[in-house]
Amino acid sequence: MNQQQADIVIVGGGGAGLRAAIAAAESNPGLDILLLSKVYPMRSHTVAAEGGCAGVIQPHDSLDAHFDDTVAGGDWLCDQDVVDYFVRHATEENLRLEHWGCPWSRKPDGSINVRAFGGMQIERTWFAADKTGFHILHTLFQTSLKYPAIRRCDEYFCTDLLVEDGHCAGLLAIDMRSGEQTLIAASAVILATGGAARVYRYNTNGGIVTGDGMALAYRQGVPLRDMEFVQYHPTGLPGSGILITEAARGEGGVLTTCDGYRYLQDYGLGPETPLGKPQNKQMELGPRDRLSQAFWHEEQAGRTVATERGAAVYLDLRHLGEQRIQERLPFIRDLARTYVNVDAVHEPIPVRPTAHYTMGGIQTDRHTATCLPGLYAVGECASVGLHGANRLGSNSLAELGVFGRLAGEQAAERAAQGLAVDPQRLRPQAEAQAAGREALRTANGPERLAALRDEMACAMEAGIGIFRVPAQMSATIEKIAELKARYQQLGLKDGSRAFNTEWLQAIELGFLLDVAEAMSHAALARQESRGSHQRPEDFPARNDALFLKHSLARQQPGGAAEVSWQDVVITRSAPGERHYGGTTVQGANR
Amino acid sequence: MGTIELVATRYRPEQDVQPWEQRYTVPCSEDMSLLDALNYIKDELDPSLSHRWSCRMAICGSCGVMVNGEPKLSCKTFLRDYREAGVVQVRALDNLPVERDLVADISGVVEHIEAVKPWLIRHSTAPVDTAHTQTPEQMARYHAFSQCINCALCYAACPQFGRNPAFLGPAALTLAQRYNLDSRDEGSSERMPWLNAEEGVWSCTFVGYCSEVCPKDVDPASAINRGKVASDINYGVNLFRLLRGKSDA
Amino acid sequence: MRKPWQPQQPRDWWLHNPAYRRYMLREATALPLMLYTLLLLAGIFQFSRGEVAFAAWLSWMQTPAALLLQGIALAAALLHAVTWVALVPKILVIDSDRLRIDPRQVLRAHQLGALAGNLGLVVATLWLLWPAGGA
Ligand SMILES: Cc1cc2nc3c(=O)[nH]c(=O)nc-3n(C[C@H](O)[C@H](O)[C@H](O)COP(=O)(O)OP(=O)(O)OC[C@H]3O[C@@H](n4cnc5c(N)ncnc54)[C@H](O)[C@@H]3O)c2cc1C
Ligand code: SF4
Ligand code: FES
Repeated sequence: MNQQQADIVIVGGGGAGLRAAIAAAESNPGLDILLLSKVYPMRSHTVAAEGGCAGVIQPHDSLDAHFDDTVAGGDWLCDQDVVDYFVRHATEENLRLEHWGCPWSRKPDGSINVRAFGGMQIERTWFAADKTGFHILHTLFQTSLKYPAIRRCDEYFCTDLLVEDGHCAGLLAIDMRSGEQTLIAASAVILATGGAARVYRYNTNGGIVTGDGMALAYRQGVPLRDMEFVQYHPTGLPGSGILITEAARGEGGVLTTCDGYRYLQDYGLGPETPLGKPQNKQMELGPRDRLSQAFWHEEQAGRTVATERGAAVYLDLRHLGEQRIQERLPFIRDLARTYVNVDAVHEPIPVRPTAHYTMGGIQTDRHTATCLPGLYAVGECASVGLHGANRLGSNSLAELGVFGRLAGEQAAERAAQGLAVDPQRLRPQAEAQAAGREALRTANGPERLAALRDEMACAMEAGIGIFRVPAQMSATIEKIAELKARYQQLGLKDGSRAFNTEWLQAIELGFLLDVAEAMSHAALARQESRGSHQRPEDFPARNDALFLKHSLARQQPGGAAEVSWQDVVITRSAPGERHYGGTTVQGANR
Repeated sequence: MGTIELVATRYRPEQDVQPWEQRYTVPCSEDMSLLDALNYIKDELDPSLSHRWSCRMAICGSCGVMVNGEPKLSCKTFLRDYREAGVVQVRALDNLPVERDLVADISGVVEHIEAVKPWLIRHSTAPVDTAHTQTPEQMARYHAFSQCINCALCYAACPQFGRNPAFLGPAALTLAQRYNLDSRDEGSSERMPWLNAEEGVWSCTFVGYCSEVCPKDVDPASAINRGKVASDINYGVNLFRLLRGKSDA
Repeated sequence: MRKPWQPQQPRDWWLHNPAYRRYMLREATALPLMLYTLLLLAGIFQFSRGEVAFAAWLSWMQTPAALLLQGIALAAALLHAVTWVALVPKILVIDSDRLRIDPRQVLRAHQLGALAGNLGLVVATLWLLWPAGGA
């Protein structure tokens, strides 16, 4: 077994991990910072974000308005102290990215341009054409290269956290190229491993988005918070699930049924806005959960379009004209052409809701620290308390900057205290873990990896999808338990070490199953409807008396998840109605 | 639906002394990408075949392979286009060491990218609370060069890189140009030694195939050859200074 | 364990791909041009040796083989010129805050320039040779 040591090790080279690395290097250039990722950083799924990144910049906008939108959008399940901190720092992070070279789209006079985004009452979404995440990620990666304090372990796959005396003291990783296991000791570990939407059959996520960090923490007894809240994005391509950004609607695209009717007006999001004149928070710019739910009803009513790849509705951009589409949405045009053979200039794009974003994640305090000393979590894998029951588009990219920086600084502070554990002391537990991984590599049980994965994805789609009914939820919970048992009987065919992706996928499936378990148990336990968690049959309404609380899923040794509850931090916006459509929008009772 | 033959060049470092070919039969529907086919093989036929992928939407840059001799992103290549050829030959990207099967070792390419100082260099730091002004016209000057996804197809397309792996190559030199052409940047003189170096722009003989295979229309050949112009001008200016006794060296 | 396979670039790499073959063709245009230059040098040399030698060279230049060679050289020169001029807009980009020229104009200017240059040469040659030829 190889052995390494660092002051801080960051798992994940996406937007959150890179920002944390830079912040740590800036706050203490003397530190040895190790950035470890199972793919080269610029492959991280931040690269796929299209639409934009929030930050108040227009004179008629305000931090309060951003706060209100976020809290109302999250159906009052956001920790308001966290939201406050977030809105105060989002713009400065966007500016920092600008200073590092991010090509934010501009107005003709050369100043920053912003676009409308779902659930935001005023335009505050910074964008870089329709490749915002791509530009943010490459800017951060390239900027990270100028800090000698940052070392990288590219294509290292983290398999386990190492805990000594109640502190997180390092981790175990596989060097994917050689297949060798490596012990890495560190004073602080930051998890920045991204989301987990690959637990679903149809999703907008890349193949690497498998909830690894969430499961790593969960297995060490750190609770996963608000895992029942999974955002379906209303506009993915049928079949592949590839995302068509919300910006397409922000720019004026409309959603219609097969006969061209803009059905959202029937779901409390109207009145119908004139073509090409999108109104913030109305119609197509309502929040994602509402739009996805509306699709579900339309599908039940048989008004959707039947395509070869399943039911869909139309996203119509034609009235924008070729020039605007080419200028603002070139990537969307390219994606539609390539993957569904539709030129958005001349035809509407078929779209349908697909699983997109995990609002929940590893529970942290508002400074990104978990309850396990030495372990921090940030980005989509974490639940810092920002998104509540439904994330507003463009808040999550902004989250990477604001909390990525915070996590880097916090870890740097801890590392400066010199709390490192001697790697030799970690050796015994590392070797025990490594032996388990080795056994999996050569496992020869009867179960097939691909079959288990597909069964899990279908079960999650059926039970923990857009609408959740009790019988199906219970069936999913049972199914996940069954799959976890069958996972112990896995048989792998490869058996070699060097770049054995079958082995890595098997480990990922283990992570996914843990995440699916936490999600389904939390979903069953939350007996209300809130944000993206909807139970129309048994609990159709929000219930603040009982469930104005975060769910905490904890792994039980040898058993299923146990769910407990944590109070939500409410400072200045008491729970109110979520208003969309033509009515005025305000956090109630302010 | 129909099927199509897929021949993959395999190389498993632990078992094989040299690469060899393996034939698979995969389903071939209208919208199936080559990546879908590789994943089908992995799931259903042969889990030991290794390939890289993630986004499956042509933006992460992971999935580059040689397809019937051309460098391509497997997620942006469709089986329907090979029906006539009848067979799809897949191997790891050319000009790079093969780690295993379809997985090329791109660490050398990444090192080249790191070498050219690909970050915004400012000598006068801007205040924290305002953005630089940059008009859409100014942005347009470097915008295409900022679209590179580091997929390394252009390296597989470049015979000069194949001959001499020390050549910084298309993507790295393009990235240098991307920052040099950015109105906010003040670092072009710091990058000049890299452009001028033996392994810099002058190793390029304008084969131009890199630009043909680039999936993002970055046009690296143009970037490099514009770099030659910049390098020439820089040479001229230095020579002039030298003659006047003001060497900047 | 790592044991990457180190591929060797095959000697005939340029045969494997149409793009490489086109490139090699462009580069290969240098060969007939070089040959033609040698022929011209030979002509000058013969000229310096006197009228008889020069006349022999002239008549040799009109043999079918020599004409074929000159035809190939002309085609090569044209190909080289056309392909290079086509690349100009990728190399010479005039786009700054002070001055911006559409790449298509840059291309057009170079095409016209090349055409004018060649026509000029032809005219000048004819003008120089006319009295001699007429006399
Ligand atoms: C298609 C799409 C479009 C989106 N558009 C927007 C948008 O317009 N606006 C917005 O605000 N948000 C958007 N989002 C959400 C946002 O992009 C993500 O939440 C965010 O990018 C996540 O960043 P991250 O750094 O947390 O994780 P990621 O970028 O996913 O990075 C995770 C990193 O962790 C590494 N990793 C994971 N597991 C391991 C392991 N076991 N060992 C080693 N390394 C590991 C990975 O290699 C990777 O480097 C979008 C999301 C998707 C999917
Ligand atoms: S220049 Fe094009 S081909 Fe080369 S790495 Fe970048 S995107 Fe890929
Ligand atoms: S899988 Fe990301 S570019 Fe092909």
